Amino acid sequence: MIGKTQRFEPFAEAPVRVIDEAGQWIAPFAYNLDDDFVRGMYRDLVRARRLDERLSTLQRQGKVSFVASAAGHEGAQVGMARAIEPGRDWLYPYYRDLPLALAVGWPLAEAIAQQMATRADPARGRQMPAHPGSAALNLFTVASPIASHVPPAVGTAIAQKLAGQGDVTLCTFGDGATSEGDWHAALNLAGAQGAPVVFFCENNGYAISVAFRHQSGSVDVATKAHAYGMPGYRVDGMDALACYFVTRQAVEAARDGLGPSLVEAFVYRYGAHSNADDDARYRPADEVAAWRRRDPIGRMRRFLEGRGLWDDAAEAALAAELKAELDAAVRAVEAAGPVPLGWMFDDVLASPSLQLRKQRAALAAQRDLEEPAR
Amino acid sequence: MAVQTIVQTVARTLAEEMARDERVVVLGEDVGKRGGVFLATEGLFDRFGPDRVIDTPLAEAAIIGAAVGMAVHGLRPVAEIQFADYVFPGFDQLVSQAAKLRYRSGGAFTAPMVVRLPAGGGVAGGHHHSQNPEAHFVHTPGLQVVYPSTPNDVKGLLKSAVRGDDPVVFMEPKRLYRAIKEEVPDDPDHLVPIGQAVVRRAGDDVVLVSYGASMSETLRAADALAEQGISAEVIDLRSLLPWDEDLVLERVARVGRVVVVSEAPRTGSFASEVAATIAEEALDLLEAPPVRVTGFDTPYPYAQDRAYLPGPDRILHAVQRVLDY
Ligand SMILES: Cc1ncc(C[n+]2csc(CCOP(=O)(O)OP(=O)(O)O)c2C)c(N)n1
Repeated sequence: MIGKTQRFEPFAEAPVRVIDEAGQWIAPFAYNLDDDFVRGMYRDLVRARRLDERLSTLQRQGKVSFVASAAGHEGAQVGMARAIEPGRDWLYPYYRDLPLALAVGWPLAEAIAQQMATRADPARGRQMPAHPGSAALNLFTVASPIASHVPPAVGTAIAQKLAGQGDVTLCTFGDGATSEGDWHAALNLAGAQGAPVVFFCENNGYAISVAFRHQSGSVDVATKAHAYGMPGYRVDGMDALACYFVTRQAVEAARDGLGPSLVEAFVYRYGAHSNADDDARYRPADEVAAWRRRDPIGRMRRFLEGRGLWDDAAEAALAAELKAELDAAVRAVEAAGPVPLGWMFDDVLASPSLQLRKQRAALAAQRDLEEPAR
Repeated sequence: MAVQTIVQTVARTLAEEMARDERVVVLGEDVGKRGGVFLATEGLFDRFGPDRVIDTPLAEAAIIGAAVGMAVHGLRPVAEIQFADYVFPGFDQLVSQAAKLRYRSGGAFTAPMVVRLPAGGGVAGGHHHSQNPEAHFVHTPGLQVVYPSTPNDVKGLLKSAVRGDDPVVFMEPKRLYRAIKEEVPDDPDHLVPIGQAVVRRAGDDVVLVSYGASMSETLRAADALAEQGISAEVIDLRSLLPWDEDLVLERVARVGRVVVVSEAPRTGSFASEVAATIAEEALDLLEAPPVRVTGFDTPYPYAQDRAYLPGPDRILHAVQRVLDY
């Protein structure tokens, strides 16, 4: 762990930035990170982007039914991932968080298996794509209903407080989620309880087509922290290191018993909301282009190159390594084969109800429950 | 007459009602510029503007609750919930406020409003994009619940819902949004009364009762039965609360055999209500017990998206059972 060195003021108007778009260090404190640590972050950023591209290809090939691209969100996610201790702390992500899940150690093959819902999926093909989860990593399985995971995140944080081990919970969501009643109820509870939880908003400016100014009368999300009695931080979400430092401060505060924080990272989603969306209906192409120029990956690469920590040869080697890794994972996941029909009856309760057992038996009399599901 | 899909019919019917009555407003997530994620409100924003086509924040409690308050103040709100599965954050407003307003005020306050719920499975959406939550609402006195399956009925029932005096849960079979096209009358007063079922196909050997998205599987099953020389009568309930008990009982009494089809989970389902009513009212006229073909008592699965649905094979199996009884 890196020591407690710098402090960011809550509610500072300008989003925290550590490196600028040219890759220059601009923080008011000296660079104090381990070079391998930063290179590792860069690797996670690129790896997430390559997975994102591969999933879109698989979707077009009809092998994945749904994609919610995270391109443009990677900086925020890889940054915050480094601020918690995976396997010790708890993580409550949302559906656009595949880069985060990978960055805390979710195995690539498991991630792809979840997208393809084959027998290789530890969640047994139960969820639509873009719904990570891993009990081994304390990665709470994603639920589609927006903000429904925020109250449970606070419950976990209260349990952590009672356990007294200094563990914390990190809970993410989009800007749209901050309108749901569940979100407000949860932040209020966290404030009242002093729960060790960090709320992290990935504000990409839109909830599908609804721009933030129609989402809320507040100027931004961080402002809302005032109401719940916790610090709010604004951070440049295209700056992975800034996201790391700010989240780390919030996590340390939670560990030290100082209660919850709300971090708002300004990011952008380059693609449509999902493969089912058409973003040209509601946002201008030049806005997308302008944000793409601020890309967290290019920015981090320029920073590394400026310090002599990266070059074209390293980039080429990484590209080859990631391609091989992805190819192998997709192959293994496909080879596992489709999940069987009968699996749909499992895991409803600890042991199936009398009714469900009869329903299963009735279907078994008509169809082979071992046959592939479709 | 225009040939149109269900989803086009929703948008065009809303446009007609908004043009007819300026009290009609539309609200929901992405219903404005985006035209709704299914395009069920396409064109409304450009034509009627942001005051009458309101892109709301992402909060179903606010959408449904605000619709109640608008209705009380004289508007005729039509709220879109993006997927039926996302009605639950707004459940309290629908069940505690909208449904009980007339009763608790002795009729002094009413909430004439429509809550549209795109529902049903078969779209590879898993448990949070596939549900049929009608049982929750038919179990809530003070609501009306409809679940049409054709463009004509969508037009007629949506107009009845908008023009009615009570809150209506308007379920839409999203799997059929673009699957069915038919001629829909231009008549701006084409109304289908809430509470009236329709016989889609006459037959003598067995009655198949269904509604909503499952109508398409039920009609396919009737086709397959016809090929085997079995003549199935098919009833489309269209309305679930109130439902057309009289028509169903009359037809079942004549034929003596009935299968009820619905894709919602079996236990406590609306199909159970239909079967129980038939058993209670027509037992001595039945040749076989009423049989239900339903979804299973599991959350809606992802990988088994199609298998979960009561498809023609399972319907045929049930028909065989009542014929062999
Ligand atoms: C309760 C609920 N209502 C509606 C939806 C449909 N929906 C899925 S994503 C989305 C927008 C979410 O926007 P935001 O929270 O800003 O996250 P982003 O997708 O921009 O990352 C909506 C409305 C849902 N999943 N859950």
